[in-house]
Amino acid sequence: MAAGIAVKPMTVETAEEIAAAEFARIVASHRPQILRFLLASLRDVDLAETLTQECFLKAHRNWKHFRGESSALTWLMRIAINLQKDYWRNRRIQFWRKTQTNAVDLDEASEWLPNGERNAEQQILAREQVAQVWRAVKSLSERQRTVFLLRYVEERELGEIAEATGLSEGTVKAHLSRALGRVRTEVRGTQ
Amino acid sequence: MNWREDLAGESRELGQALEHFKASMDAWSDAALRRPRTVTEMAARRNWRPATSWALGCLLAAGSAAGAVHQIVHRHEMAKQAAQRDAQKRAAAAREAASHLGAPAEKPASVAAAVKEEAGAQDENLLASVDKDVSREVPAAMEPLAQLMDGNGTE
Repeated sequence: MAAGIAVKPMTVETAEEIAAAEFARIVASHRPQILRFLLASLRDVDLAETLTQECFLKAHRNWKHFRGESSALTWLMRIAINLQKDYWRNRRIQFWRKTQTNAVDLDEASEWLPNGERNAEQQILAREQVAQVWRAVKSLSERQRTVFLLRYVEERELGEIAEATGLSEGTVKAHLSRALGRVRTEVRGTQ
Repeated sequence: MNWREDLAGESRELGQALEHFKASMDAWSDAALRRPRTVTEMAARRNWRPATSWALGCLLAAGSAAGAVHQIVHRHEMAKQAAQRDAQKRAAAAREAASHLGAPAEKPASVAAAVKEEAGAQDENLLASVDKDVSREVPAAMEPLAQLMDGNGTE
């Protein structure tokens, strides 16, 4: 007779509790990345927070459909990309409306720098470089900007970017190359 | 592959600019994550909305009802005034008729009685003439029968 290992069958309630705990852990660990990506895309703190909430709400509703084929962060990024795409589309449709936007201008966005051990001159130089990158980012197309931010701010791998955006890796590389070219021109041009 | 490896052949300035850009975004989003939430304030503001719309709706309904009542009262008042004016006109006409006949100025009660009498006489005359006309008018198809009746009546 085989040594019997008592396996307690899992109830629906237990499974739901585990799923809820797992989802809460994912929210806690990935919220900063999603917020940062949306903030970089929109330059509007309130809007970025709203879309972050919406992203996790959508993720929660569809959590049972997530099969783990990609990482949870890639899946969340995909939802966030779609949300910001919808936002830009709606803004284009409603161009005739006086839509209130709290998006900060490029100079204000460039003010943010970590409190490092830099002297005043280095701080000014760093701020100027951030402003140059912002100017280049602003001139990019929506897709190029998304790919650029995922690569250089979120530090995602090319394969992950391709999964999150639904593009092929070759297309991602092409977009990155063009975006980097713009940044290069901007940085060289102002020196 | 790390993006820093992508920039192997690039200038140092480009790499630095991208590093600073990332650091700037990190600092900004950290500050955004730490800032206090305004959810309570928004919820409170949202709670006022139904109350305000209810109050406005009630005000609108009350205004409409008051307007309708005022209109009805006004119409009644106008009808009353018109009736009074008519009565005064009729009384004046009767007084004038009486003065033409040389009668002394009558008291208002007798004037009213005279007006009533005159109106009654007019009504009777009108009814009599209508009766006459109706009795005289016979449809063309009934003419032979009417003649027969006349013949019978005369015989």
